[in-house]
Amino acid sequence: MIQVNELKKQYKETVVLDVDHLEIPNSECFGLVGNNGAGKTTLFRIMLDLVRATSGTVTIEGQDVSKSEDWKAKTGAYLDEHMLLTYLTPDEYFETLRKIYGMSEADLGVHLEKFRELFNDEIIGKKKYIRDLSKGNLKKVGIAAAMMGNPEVVFLDEPFENLDPSSQIRLKKLILSEKENSQITFLISSHDLNHVTEICDRIVLLEKGKIINDLRDKSAMMSELDAYFTG
Amino acid sequence: MIFELVKLQFLKSFRSTSFAKSAMANIFLGFIVLVLLGYVFGAGIFLPKIIELLAEGEDPIIVINSYLIYFFLFEFMYRYFLQKLPVLDLESLLHLPIGKGKIISILLARSFISAMSLIPVLLFLPSAFQIIEPIYGTSGAIFWIGSIVFTSYTLHWFMLWFKQRFEDGLIGIIVVFAILALGAGSSYMGWFNLGEITKPIFDLALSSPIPMLVLAILMIGTFILCRRFYLENAYLEDLAEEDEIRFVGQSIGFFTRFGLAGELANLEWKLIIRHKKSRTYLMLSAFFLLYGLIFYTNPVYQSEDGGISAIFIFVGVFITGIFMIQYGQQFLSWNSGNFDFFLNRKDGVEALVKGKYLLFISISMICFLASIPYVYFGWNILLIHLATFLFNIGILIHVIIYLALWKPKPMDLNKGAMFNYEGVGAAQFLIIIPMMAGPYLIYLPFSLLFNDYVGLLALGISGIIGILSFKPLSKIIINRINSNRYEISSSFRQES
Repeated sequence: MIQVNELKKQYKETVVLDVDHLEIPNSECFGLVGNNGAGKTTLFRIMLDLVRATSGTVTIEGQDVSKSEDWKAKTGAYLDEHMLLTYLTPDEYFETLRKIYGMSEADLGVHLEKFRELFNDEIIGKKKYIRDLSKGNLKKVGIAAAMMGNPEVVFLDEPFENLDPSSQIRLKKLILSEKENSQITFLISSHDLNHVTEICDRIVLLEKGKIINDLRDKSAMMSELDAYFTG
Repeated sequence: MIFELVKLQFLKSFRSTSFAKSAMANIFLGFIVLVLLGYVFGAGIFLPKIIELLAEGEDPIIVINSYLIYFFLFEFMYRYFLQKLPVLDLESLLHLPIGKGKIISILLARSFISAMSLIPVLLFLPSAFQIIEPIYGTSGAIFWIGSIVFTSYTLHWFMLWFKQRFEDGLIGIIVVFAILALGAGSSYMGWFNLGEITKPIFDLALSSPIPMLVLAILMIGTFILCRRFYLENAYLEDLAEEDEIRFVGQSIGFFTRFGLAGELANLEWKLIIRHKKSRTYLMLSAFFLLYGLIFYTNPVYQSEDGGISAIFIFVGVFITGIFMIQYGQQFLSWNSGNFDFFLNRKDGVEALVKGKYLLFISISMICFLASIPYVYFGWNILLIHLATFLFNIGILIHVIIYLALWKPKPMDLNKGAMFNYEGVGAAQFLIIIPMMAGPYLIYLPFSLLFNDYVGLLALGISGIIGILSFKPLSKIIINRINSNRYEISSSFRQES
């Protein structure tokens, strides 16, 4: 379970994030939507302890993320390409992560096999540094990396962005099957309302740093979001 | 795990774009560093002899001990300017289940592996064996060299903390100037003798291990301070260097009179002010204005017949043209991040080039005006500056730009300028030749045939001819860019 309490982020006078209370139970697929600048990425970054909160706490399984680092072993994330070691080839990157997560080579093989369709033969075994990959392929590497090491929680920022339509569908299937098989808690931010309503059990709408809607009813989600975004 | 992190650091430095793209430049630089370290070692070996020559009859150990503090002040300065902070790669590791402590330790340890850590050892170890060991025994030599090395390493950790904490802030600049004033106040003004104050520490180190132990503890203390600070600040927002200066540097009204070229000159000005690397180049220009003080006051360079010492031509070229020499070397590389923007406009390249010309000439003009006080050392100096200024903006500017267009390389403007050789290729080394030889090619024949003033006149006239033929000369540059635009643009996108 992830808990957010009285979380606030302020840059000088401007409050960019102000979340009173948020609880995400295990194995929920949690969607975060909102216009540009609503604070989605900032919220994820604070939850991952990459950015300091001005006040308030985030706990994952009862551990304050800014106080300990144990939660990192069970949390995967891909927010942007800065999280990758871009001077490695994808193979080397996965190999490095394998050692960091203490996986066996067979584990890694099994893990990458799940991504075979998504990778579309463009990633594994190619002599190309990550920094030279296209934006879509960069994203695929990041997502595969985030799901390594049997995480219990996975954060993905705009996972569908820059992917071609078939890859988007493949990724959607992959997330759904992972959710089904491994009980992973997914936190996904997206501008693609169709995808996010399809895979998420719950969608939170962020506006100017505040939660303005918490949608749990799958049938009403799309119409409510539509109503909000068309203004 | 530690091994894995070390391997990553290693791979990173070998695969960095600047390394791969200019392996030759790196080999050359590595060679230069080795040569310089060799010189330092040589200086270390001959240090006792040098001191005997300079301070006859005095005990070299006492002399070294009383001047050590100046070495450390100097070390403080070069560390301030050269030492790199090891924070840049944190972002790709922070989200992984590796303790922050481990990551920071590795990064800090890596920062320690540098030529700068070798300098005190190379410089003072020979003296320890040559003059200290015979008198104070091996233990004395060890205590003494230990004190020096630990002081130097204390500075290393202190500087990592200091730069991260105060860089770009007012306090940092004040402290650096205070250190400078301390050194100058002590040695030039004679307010107090810094050397005498710190000498007892190193004197004591000759016979007792206490200074070495105290300094070792101090070093460990600064390491802990540094590590704790980095650990507490291992957040993205703290890593992204906060640029206070980002929004200063508004348009300069003067340029708007020159139409589109003026607009582009303004753009270039903002580019300079808003990026770290280019800002350093601008500051260097200001420093080089003082370059003349070294040469014009030095009796060695005063020619006996009252004429003009030939080396002054070079000094003049440097003082009035340092910005175009430094900045112009990477003429297009500065715009490597947005070169396509200019290609995409009608006459964009032409406007870009003319804007740069305008900016170079304006800054040269400012340097020339600012150098007028050198007239204090004689009217000759003003004449030299005028002639070299005209030569710079008439001829040298075109030569530098023309050579800089030989395979321009992309570079990242947000990194520091010191020992950052991104965007440097063979062309940048070759530019030195015309820069050094060019003015003499014109000056010397006339100076030898007639006299020095005719030489200066020739230099000035050649500059004026260059200014008058600005249009065709700049056209050559513009055409060269336009005909190579596909290659340049693709190399800037790092496709080749």
